[in-house]
Amino acid sequence: MVEPPGRQFSFDGRTRSAQPGETVLDTLLPEGLPNLQRSPHYHRPRAPMCGIGHCTGCLVRVNGRPNVRACRYEPSSGDRVTTENAWPSRRFDVLAIFDGLFPSGIDTLHGFRRPAFATPLYHRVIRRLTGYGAPPSPTSANSLSFPPEIRTTDVLVIGAGRAGRAVASELVANGVAPLLLDRASRIEPVPGATLLPRTTVSFLPPPQPTKEAPFEVLAFTEPSRGVRVWARRVVVAVGSYDASLLFGSNDRPGVMTADGAFALTSTAGKPPFHTAVVFGAGERARGVVDRLGDHVAALVAPGAVPPDLVRACSEAGIPIYPRSLLVAANGRSRVRSVELRTRGSGATSRVECDAVVLAHRRVPNVPVLFQVGARMQWRSGPGAYYPEIDADGQTSVAGVWAAGSVSGVTRPASAPSGTRAARALMGTASPEPPPERVPSEGGNELEGYYRELLARPRTGRWVACACEDILLQELEAVTARGYRGVEVAKRYSGLGTGLCQGRYCLPDALLLLALREGRPPSEVGFITQRPPVVPTPLAAFAALDRPSPVREDAA
Amino acid sequence: VSVPSRSRYSVVIVGAGIIGLFTAYHLAGAGAGPILVVDRGFLSSGASGRNGGGVRQQWETRATVRLARESVAAYRRFGGEFGYNIWFRQSGYLFLADSDAEMARLCAVSEVVRSEGLPSRVLDPDGVHRLVDGIAPHAVIGGTYLGSDGTVYPFPAIWGLYEAVRSRGVEVVLGLEATGITTSENRVSGVGTSRGHVATSHVIDAAGGWSGEFARRAGLDVPNVATRHEILATEPMRPFVDPMVVRASDGLYFSQTMRGEIVGGLTLAHPTGTTGGMSTSPEFLPKMARTLTTLLPRLGALNVLRAWSGFYDDTPDGLPVIGEDPRCPGFVHANGFGGHGFMLAPAATRRVAAAVLGTPSDLDPGQFGPGRFLGPRPPPAAERLQLG
Repeated sequence: MVEPPGRQFSFDGRTRSAQPGETVLDTLLPEGLPNLQRSPHYHRPRAPMCGIGHCTGCLVRVNGRPNVRACRYEPSSGDRVTTENAWPSRRFDVLAIFDGLFPSGIDTLHGFRRPAFATPLYHRVIRRLTGYGAPPSPTSANSLSFPPEIRTTDVLVIGAGRAGRAVASELVANGVAPLLLDRASRIEPVPGATLLPRTTVSFLPPPQPTKEAPFEVLAFTEPSRGVRVWARRVVVAVGSYDASLLFGSNDRPGVMTADGAFALTSTAGKPPFHTAVVFGAGERARGVVDRLGDHVAALVAPGAVPPDLVRACSEAGIPIYPRSLLVAANGRSRVRSVELRTRGSGATSRVECDAVVLAHRRVPNVPVLFQVGARMQWRSGPGAYYPEIDADGQTSVAGVWAAGSVSGVTRPASAPSGTRAARALMGTASPEPPPERVPSEGGNELEGYYRELLARPRTGRWVACACEDILLQELEAVTARGYRGVEVAKRYSGLGTGLCQGRYCLPDALLLLALREGRPPSEVGFITQRPPVVPTPLAAFAALDRPSPVREDAA
Repeated sequence: VSVPSRSRYSVVIVGAGIIGLFTAYHLAGAGAGPILVVDRGFLSSGASGRNGGGVRQQWETRATVRLARESVAAYRRFGGEFGYNIWFRQSGYLFLADSDAEMARLCAVSEVVRSEGLPSRVLDPDGVHRLVDGIAPHAVIGGTYLGSDGTVYPFPAIWGLYEAVRSRGVEVVLGLEATGITTSENRVSGVGTSRGHVATSHVIDAAGGWSGEFARRAGLDVPNVATRHEILATEPMRPFVDPMVVRASDGLYFSQTMRGEIVGGLTLAHPTGTTGGMSTSPEFLPKMARTLTTLLPRLGALNVLRAWSGFYDDTPDGLPVIGEDPRCPGFVHANGFGGHGFMLAPAATRRVAAAVLGTPSDLDPGQFGPGRFLGPRPPPAAERLQLG
């Protein structure tokens, strides 16, 4: 054969072809950023936002299995992929009338109570509308049953980025063969280490000290192979990600994180937009300007812009809006422009664009560290919780180390922090001074930014949680009613209970609640992260319940 | 903010869960004087914020059937009375039998329930399959069903009660731990807390999984045991399962909420006591996943979003403990609900309030009172339908 055949699959009834390694989303992106989803309550159009398999902007249905992420799923020949949660189609969804009917949101806490005799009717109607889409088809689970993978290892390294690979290489160099797993479909090899790609840890429970291998780690390999790893020691090197931002219509298709902008840019360098407004002024914003500068309409910064970034922008002919509030994203099914307001003065401006790239804040991917019971510490510089670690990355839990950006080191120190943790794990000291970490004190720029932004009248939908369509005013109602703390805010509003497991709503919610409660975010508390840390198919867990699954075919 | 404003209260209630708050509501309505509710956690941090929301009236013991029936009526009125929608959905409880012995037991329960005037039905396998589409063939041999049983959404019930008791003048102090009691002339004279002492003539032990611990701190030997139970929730999908489905043989229960999540649990043998924490265990997720997917195979394609645990407050005979402790006048029990506090709260707490106020109650103290454990012989197991 001369050409690779490609895998033929159908997408909403039309045949498409995917090369090996291509995801469903990869095959759609050449035609532009697709609006794949409708939001669960208001049926607002949604498009991929994060590009890294956490947001709900690219959920599709595959062979009757709901909520498969198009940015991660590599189709097989004959797959039937459809969009969900919209009727008659994702482009024209009649249920989008809810967006106009409920301008201040659907109040499920107080509404639909009267008249009492109508309760069963409300229930019937709402049960036809609720949820992310149709239930799994009766046969959808049949192809998801795999024999489980059971492994025992001395050291498990979670995450194969710079830090994780440095850990693995150092261990191998000293005669320890670790197991290295990562969500990515390809891991750059580390000779001597066992690699487990496409594999995500769901649950890292606290150690059971009486066992030879105290860590019983539950994971799964996509699409649904259950994985259990018994490990004596664990290094968490799961990195960080770009946070979202609160502004009017912040869920508009085209609003994406810098992670998303990079992940959705083709190997040929074509991003999923024509011109984007970039928000941020740090290293991450610099990275977007450097790599995608030809497609940047403007750089908007919450504060001052450092001289090197000013120079880079002026060389690329990119206008800069320093000390500005990003007020709203205009448009309908795609961003058409953004509204800006200069901080302090009140001067407003509008910038035409078809995307907003959020590059203002990196937050560590800490859920597994919360889960394993590591003591966490609020570091107010970046405004996030990080593990309490010693100079080598040892956490408060015996046998668990953290390395790389999840431990609070910045990018140049990622690999060295991994090497250091690996040495400490083997009982060797490192001669170098420990890497610097993000500041634990000092002001977070966003707190003042939000104080100013949220004091102003608002237009558009301010979405506090995109997964569950929870609006900012629903979160504000929590404090207005006298409830305090993020744990209660979660239970009152539903915040943090969606498919991204709170990754995109909680960082902003903590700042917002702190402002409204008049106390620092560290006192607002944290959400006790509940397993699994990523949505995990029941089929994968089920296979782990017995040594080899026996199919019980009905007679 | 987090200390009591007064030095003396008529009643101090330990625990701001569904039992403590409902009791406070009834007492305040009866004009019982200044009431203080303390809880060492945040609102809904205990079992009241960790349960599956089931409300059923199918029980082995008649008195419990009656309490449950009264509670169902109260939950139907809740939205109008408290201003919060608890989404009480009467889509029934379906009990599954997987053995002849189990089927015989369910039939006996159904008989009791019917004799109390509730139309519980006995189902053959076809009847079960008609109620829940997709149950694996041969997984069940039959079941029972009562359509007026249902589910509530627990959180708004707590918010509604919290706001209602506060507007009735009850003081609720969160993050304050009750450490014990003081007595004078062999009756309750006050309650010690982590931040000082308050005087009172009545203390109500409504501390859920921690109620045994509090009673023992007060010097009262009680048989209550905290047992850890785990639960999971899937991603929300358009509803396709209407009733709460329960199976006594392994303690399985699950329902699909108004949001569309499948929420359910299973009984595992954990060590007793509250030291195990309220996270989930590595045994539960696989066991629960296999149990669910064996019964309803299409669930295999659903994602689990969260799993957690909470504590049941179990008693030896499976019935709650309601009433004043004969060994210590002024110490009133409102505990031992064994995972059924939410189901029975509206009705049971009326009897707790009656015990405080000294008004008549229809509960047999020999069946529900704390004195039943003080005799030479422990009471026999009475209510064995310990699930969902």
